Amino acid sequence: MKQKTLLFGALGMLVVLILFMVKDLFLSSPEPGNNPWKYDLETMKQADTMKPAYTMVKAIPSGLQGLVAIATGPGDRIYTTGAGGAEIYDSACRLLLRFDFEDTAYALTVDSTGNLWMSMGDHVEVWNKTGKKLQTLKSAGRGSLITSLALTGSSLLIADAGLKVVYHYDHMGNMINRIGEKDPVRKVPGFVIPGPWFDLAVSPDGSLWIANPGRHELEQYRFDGQRLLSWGKPGIGIPEFCGCCNPSHFTFLPDGSFVTSEKGIERIKVYNPRGKFSAVVALPGDFDEGTRGLDLATDSRGRILVVDPVRKQIRIFVKRSTTSNN
Amino acid sequence: MKYKAALLLLLLLFFHGFSVKAIQRFPRPEFETAYSQPETLLPQARAEVMEVVDVVVLALSLSLVSWLVLKKRSRKGVFWMSLFSLAYFGFYREGCVCSIGSIQNIALALFDRNYILPLTAVVFFILPLVFALFFGRTFCAGVCPFGALQDMVSFYPQKTGPKLNGLLGMVPYLYLGFAILYAATGTDFIICRYDPFVGIFRMNASFGMFLFGGLLLITGIFLARPYCRFLCPYGVLLNWASRLSHRHLTITADECIRCRLCEDSCPYDAIDLPLTDKSPETRSSRIRKMAWIVVLIPALTFLGAGTGFLLHTTFAGVNNKVILAKQLATPANQQIKPEPFSVTAFRTSGKSVESVNLEAREVIRRFKTGALALGGFIGLVFGLVIARRMTGRWHDDYLPDKGHCFSCARCIDYCPVKTKLPKNTP
Repeated sequence: MKQKTLLFGALGMLVVLILFMVKDLFLSSPEPGNNPWKYDLETMKQADTMKPAYTMVKAIPSGLQGLVAIATGPGDRIYTTGAGGAEIYDSACRLLLRFDFEDTAYALTVDSTGNLWMSMGDHVEVWNKTGKKLQTLKSAGRGSLITSLALTGSSLLIADAGLKVVYHYDHMGNMINRIGEKDPVRKVPGFVIPGPWFDLAVSPDGSLWIANPGRHELEQYRFDGQRLLSWGKPGIGIPEFCGCCNPSHFTFLPDGSFVTSEKGIERIKVYNPRGKFSAVVALPGDFDEGTRGLDLATDSRGRILVVDPVRKQIRIFVKRSTTSNN
Repeated sequence: MKYKAALLLLLLLFFHGFSVKAIQRFPRPEFETAYSQPETLLPQARAEVMEVVDVVVLALSLSLVSWLVLKKRSRKGVFWMSLFSLAYFGFYREGCVCSIGSIQNIALALFDRNYILPLTAVVFFILPLVFALFFGRTFCAGVCPFGALQDMVSFYPQKTGPKLNGLLGMVPYLYLGFAILYAATGTDFIICRYDPFVGIFRMNASFGMFLFGGLLLITGIFLARPYCRFLCPYGVLLNWASRLSHRHLTITADECIRCRLCEDSCPYDAIDLPLTDKSPETRSSRIRKMAWIVVLIPALTFLGAGTGFLLHTTFAGVNNKVILAKQLATPANQQIKPEPFSVTAFRTSGKSVESVNLEAREVIRRFKTGALALGGFIGLVFGLVIARRMTGRWHDDYLPDKGHCFSCARCIDYCPVKTKLPKNTP
């Protein structure tokens, strides 16, 4: 009896499988509206179930039309720029000044005196903290699109997404050298930049780091252009960089940790100074769909400031354990 | 041995997982000319030299299994060879090109002059058939990874009996017929579409494919080798070739002593029991049977051909061109909403509806002939199966059923007659 049950059970399952094949072949109809080749990020976003170690404590609505770039300056003041203007807030997020200009500022950095160094597309302009233009540097050339700026004691570093190179200038606007051009002899692979997202930053210990989004890496260079090392892996896992070209932006925390932001699957994460993943700041659920251009800045207290161009906000994230202090 | 097999199978799956994990879900982009990928973990196209290696391994494996079955008469040897084949042709080569699927390559090449037939597919199609023609289905015994995988899980095989075997045994003929029809008309490779185990070999498939393969393996615990016996279309060709085999496996090394020890040894019901009790038929009875067969076979062939012809539009309904033409011809108020992607793609292609209709009509025309041939083939097979059942051949010993025997050599272990005795031994 038991043997017969087993036999007929197995036969029944076999018949069901054969019937499934017949049904699938002859009776299935095309799925309505189903595009089997659709580049669907939704399922990938659902994989991001890790709980963020940071929480948003404030969202400052910006009066700028197109919010693009953010930086922090002396006294943890917050500087933002975008289409046709710039804003300055104090560390408690109170608006101190808003001034206008004609162009769009694509990148921003602030020097020790509080002057704003802004990319106006193909050239850099310097404005003081009262909204007066001080200096215009020479254009880098046709096709140039400057997307990131950084200052050190004597150097100005300019990331040009259009010409796929980093320029090393002095503060007077004299070019010293070019960094990151493809050079097999020096083992420099060159930058792969499919879109207008190309960031660089100088770490608290003074070393230059440049994003290579097409290679899903952050690369360290000496100021003379010698490539030193890199880290970063492609993938949809939390510790990796997803999509065609990420990270789109990055900056440093006071302890030298990296903060990165990605587009496509919108994520902000923290990596330790050696490039090992350490924490999630924000996940796709924290942003509107299609948000791109999450420029980043940090202040001396370790707060992470994020530009959200879709919601037109400056969003401030802090570590969960330090929430009560902010 | 079964537990050893299960353990080895688990180990294979375990180690296979490592290489799968290494595959990048997101391949690095190529945006610039001469941009070189720093590291690529995706499977490369198989190098030509490796294709030659595959063919050599196939030929050597077939030779070795045939020798193990016919000369050494070693079930253990066959078992270890099937494990090797599972590892090499299954998990390492990820089940492709396989002999079963190569039927479709051959069929498409015969009917489509533009199709370039890979030489490997030809060899994988022909070589097992040539071996079957001489030595029986030694390919099934220890070279086919599908068979090996099912063999590993066949823990409690139950006997199905001749009636069920006969009934379900028709399915592979249908499957073969449809596979050739759809490949020849450029519609689909349905053997690959319903391949139950390739997902397991690659550790990468849709949930449906894994479920299909998993359920078939569960079935295989109680119904030995269900795919090989009741689905495999290549098994039909091997069955035919094996029936003609000159040197097929024998259960006993010498004369059968009718000890009945092997009677229940075959999990596939592929042992022909002695027909000693059969009383001699009268001449008139034999003539009557023969007359029936002479009438029945052509009648069933014509009936099948007619049925196939009547159903040709149903069969053609699987073809994408026909599906698209039907969708475009459907009145707007009855159309599927939102429209299927194939319709959206057509609308953006700039092609005219008339050109789609023309293509669909051409496909249906080809199906008219194809379905007629398919129906005739199925009718003929039915007729031959019935004729075979009507004409049992007298024999007084236990013989392997040459068509259905997988030459797995299990029965050899049960036979007490291990060596051929010298002539004139009393």
